[in-house]
Amino acid sequence: MLWALPLFPALAGLALWASGDGSRLRLGAMAGGAAAGTLVLAVLAAAQEWQDGFAWGAGLELHLALTPLSAAVAITVPAVALAVLVFAAAHEEARGLARLLGLMLIFIGAMELAVVAADLLSLLIGWEVMGFCSWALIGHHWRDRANMASGRYAFVTTRLGDLGLFLALMATWGGAGALDYAALGRLEDAPLALAAFGILIAAAAKAGQGPFAPWLFRAMDGPSSVSALLHAATMVAAGAYLLARLHPWLAPAPYWSGAVIALGLFTALAGGAVAVMQGHAKKLLAGSTSAQLGLMFIAVGAGYPGVAVAHLVTHAAFKAPLFLSAGIAGEAAGTYRLREMGFGRALPWTAGLTALAALALAAVPPMGAAWSKEQIAAAAMHESLWLGLAVMVAGALSAAYAARFWWLAYGPGGAEPEARPRWPEIAALGVLALACAALGLLWLGPVQASLPLRLPETRSLEIAASLALVAIGLLAGLTLARRETAPEPQAADWLGLPALIGHGIVRPFERLAALAAHLDDAVLDAIPRGAASGAQHIARGGRRAWGAMQADRGIINAAVWQVAAMTRALARLSDKPGEILADGLPEGAARITGRTGADARRLQTGLSHHYYAIFGIGAALAILFVIFGKV
Amino acid sequence: MLTFAILLPFAAAALLAFAPLSAGASRAIAVATAALALLALVVVWARFTPGAGFQAEMEIPWIPALGVAWRVGVDGISLPLALMSGLLFVAAIAWPMEREVNARQYYAWFLFLEGASLGLFLTLDLLLFYVFFDLSLVGMYFLIGRWGHGEAQRAALKFFLYTLAGSLLILLAIIALVLMTDPLTFDMRDLIALQPVAGMDLRAGLILLGLVIGFAIKTPLFPVHTWLPPAHVDAPGAASAILAGVLLKMGTYGLVRIAMQMMRETFATYALAIGILALISILWGSIVAFAQENLKRRIAYTSVNHMGYAVLGIAVAGSAVTGHEAARDLALTGAMVEMVAHGLITGALFLIAGAFWARTQDYQLGHYGGLAGNAPRMMAAMGLASFASLGLPGLAGFVAEVQIFIGAFAVWPWLAALALLGLIVSAALFLGMLQRIFFGDRPPVLDDFTDLTRTEICILAVLLALVVLIGVWPAWLLDMIGAGATLTFGGG
Repeated sequence: MLWALPLFPALAGLALWASGDGSRLRLGAMAGGAAAGTLVLAVLAAAQEWQDGFAWGAGLELHLALTPLSAAVAITVPAVALAVLVFAAAHEEARGLARLLGLMLIFIGAMELAVVAADLLSLLIGWEVMGFCSWALIGHHWRDRANMASGRYAFVTTRLGDLGLFLALMATWGGAGALDYAALGRLEDAPLALAAFGILIAAAAKAGQGPFAPWLFRAMDGPSSVSALLHAATMVAAGAYLLARLHPWLAPAPYWSGAVIALGLFTALAGGAVAVMQGHAKKLLAGSTSAQLGLMFIAVGAGYPGVAVAHLVTHAAFKAPLFLSAGIAGEAAGTYRLREMGFGRALPWTAGLTALAALALAAVPPMGAAWSKEQIAAAAMHESLWLGLAVMVAGALSAAYAARFWWLAYGPGGAEPEARPRWPEIAALGVLALACAALGLLWLGPVQASLPLRLPETRSLEIAASLALVAIGLLAGLTLARRETAPEPQAADWLGLPALIGHGIVRPFERLAALAAHLDDAVLDAIPRGAASGAQHIARGGRRAWGAMQADRGIINAAVWQVAAMTRALARLSDKPGEILADGLPEGAARITGRTGADARRLQTGLSHHYYAIFGIGAALAILFVIFGKV
Repeated sequence: MLTFAILLPFAAAALLAFAPLSAGASRAIAVATAALALLALVVVWARFTPGAGFQAEMEIPWIPALGVAWRVGVDGISLPLALMSGLLFVAAIAWPMEREVNARQYYAWFLFLEGASLGLFLTLDLLLFYVFFDLSLVGMYFLIGRWGHGEAQRAALKFFLYTLAGSLLILLAIIALVLMTDPLTFDMRDLIALQPVAGMDLRAGLILLGLVIGFAIKTPLFPVHTWLPPAHVDAPGAASAILAGVLLKMGTYGLVRIAMQMMRETFATYALAIGILALISILWGSIVAFAQENLKRRIAYTSVNHMGYAVLGIAVAGSAVTGHEAARDLALTGAMVEMVAHGLITGALFLIAGAFWARTQDYQLGHYGGLAGNAPRMMAAMGLASFASLGLPGLAGFVAEVQIFIGAFAVWPWLAALALLGLIVSAALFLGMLQRIFFGDRPPVLDDFTDLTRTEICILAVLLALVVLIGVWPAWLLDMIGAGATLTFGGG
């Protein structure tokens, strides 16, 4: 039954896509219905602990199963997607809307497959199909070639990470002879290290960590609802989920936890800095996604995968509405430049609801996201004091960019909007924003006790310090927003990382490929060309010698005569079978000779003799060898 | 039944060559013949028991003194290839001609080529194998030379001479191999059971070298692949589809059937070298393809990349006489799936490329753009085939590649890890290709570019439906191949 969870949204998406564009109401109802159905399936699957399998063949099997951790994500995904799809049906351009919604549903199906996968092969399938969906969705407005180029950039970057998953798959099968997650536990030494670090690379690529971060910026060329889905519920979130899900088996690998923490910490701080500098609404949020996923990585590395998943859920609840809100503001301003916005007065509802989500991003209590962030800080504090402090600084950065985002987009600017949101857009935004607030229940002791998670001990001094830093961050963000006059620093483009990748990897590779293509034509092809021209020389020489012999019959001795006669006989002998075979007809030799001759004349007069001669030589060699062998 | 499948196309080719039929009638006869041959193969498949060695056998003595006979039969290696070839021939023959000249001869040559190709996969006699190998060259030579475009004749001749040189080496090796048997036999089953060169030193190595070079040219592997791009570029789309889909498989099939199965020990000794050659082909093919500005050249070079995966799988499967059985099984199954998948996928891609030529007489990627608007069906077909080719899960290419990678890693981890890089380059080059043809601004000259016709859609739909079917439910194909039986068959 568990197959229904990934297959239902995927098939519904295909059907929706095939049904074609139409009224927003119909498309929205279909997409929302499919997402709601997926949500029901996810809840049922979690309640009844569904499992499933599939015989792939050749001794490989696919397994699907749910753990408490994966059930939480499996339910979060369609819940967030439901609101996002309703928003998309109302907000996005009518042309191509069926394709957009259909692909988003397929995207959800692929994500669900990755969530319920209990073996690496199922995981890889869902993982890569997500990559395809991201390509198609980022390039949704395909008439602008730059969008497709961004889709390609995203696909290739994340696939680079997928190679890590391939590597893990290969190492696991090589080391344990199976691909289910439990097999990871039977690995040792090199295979374990390969599997653990391979999976880390795959997760880092999807989650936009470290060197992989720039693809999230390019992904901003997609529609806002796609960004919301991609960052909150699918793809990016999948990176953190994967590490949390596989943590029990991967943590024993030497240096693995340290690497996860290092990667997460770097991205949390760098992403925060980038977001503080960004002047593009969606890119600001994209930088913040990298940073928030970095926090989840830190939680996993510190040994608290449950905390990472808790933050994943709270993050989904606030990041989706923030992107939807950015879409509304972008539409209203006709641009995503934050400086052109300021719709606090014109769009009060949007502004108010966005404020809730922004407070969650800033981790201000009593929002649920604040609780999960404090848990991460506590987990980091268990690891070391410095790590704990670094997480608090990252939290201060979140507060700063959250405040800056909200103030610039919805502060008192008095700008007149070009377009106003329709009611379903506000409703979707509102439901998600209220969910952020509702998650504040996580602060309550009984609720925490009911969670199937291991939580780090929190100390009130730490929380106080952390909250103080959040307050400082908020003030700094507001100050920055008010003084938003200086041009955006160059470092805002992911600290120059995209340029570095362009100059250091992409362009050198293009040059290498061009060079290889040139070598292929100029050098490798020279071998047969050389052989051909050599053969031509020999043939010419032979013709000359033959001519000389013809001219001077006097000195032809008997031996040469015989060789010549034999050659002619051989040629006659081999010529006919050659032509007969060539036409594929075992009878009517004369007629065929004429016909094939005609075919050959049309082709290239004279040359056909050469290959028939070669064919003949082949046959002659065969005969000679058989005779020799017999003797 | 198998004999029928081989001889029927030949007979129909003879009919078309002589009977003064109209173009329409020739086409109808050709399609019907190809369909009947496919049907015969499907009947054999229906009675096939996976893993039970050679089946549907038939033997008619021919030259008893040399041990040559008309022998046919199929096992899990040849049946999938024959079925795929039979299907691809129906598709290629039914595909509309690009230049409608001399239709009768065109279809006659196609049927001739089909007879030779099916014969090659279905025969169990080494001499007949060689004869069919060379006959296929002749058929393809005329198809490219007469119905191609550009420098078609030059390309056809290059293709012919290059692969003929390879086939001469194969002939020498076959003869040397057969001469080790006493009494003399060309029976593949006997040769597999006898392992005629087992325990021999240099001579066995030389025989293998001859086979490997010969089949490497046909496959083609780096560095003897340079005949492939010009042959594809100037060939009509349907001939390209057969060249890539069927003829290239003859090289890998020969490697499995002759080099690996008949010379187990020798093959195992040199398997790593073959594996390295395959790795270079994988990387070189994809990198060079990335830089191609010509649509057909780009697809052609990806064949070098994909056939490299297949050869890697074969090298892994033959890398040892005992040990690593599970990994070798997986690699061989993967290699076989790769051959079938590549036939379907690249066959479809070349047919589509032919459709481009029929509409614009232009293969330059830079001259295209924005066609998603007026050719959405073409976009869907080419997109699906491209993603299948770059190994997206849920499509056939992934099934093959993941198994090859897993199997290869267990035997040669470094080789497998490096081969992974091919995946990333393939992704970049196929997405780049789609992007440049279908997206962005449309040049005004393409405003009346027409989408695929109903005939074209139906043909591609069948091929691509199989690509999806293998991708989501590979078990039926994997069971048919039953690689384990092949590895142990004939006393491994």
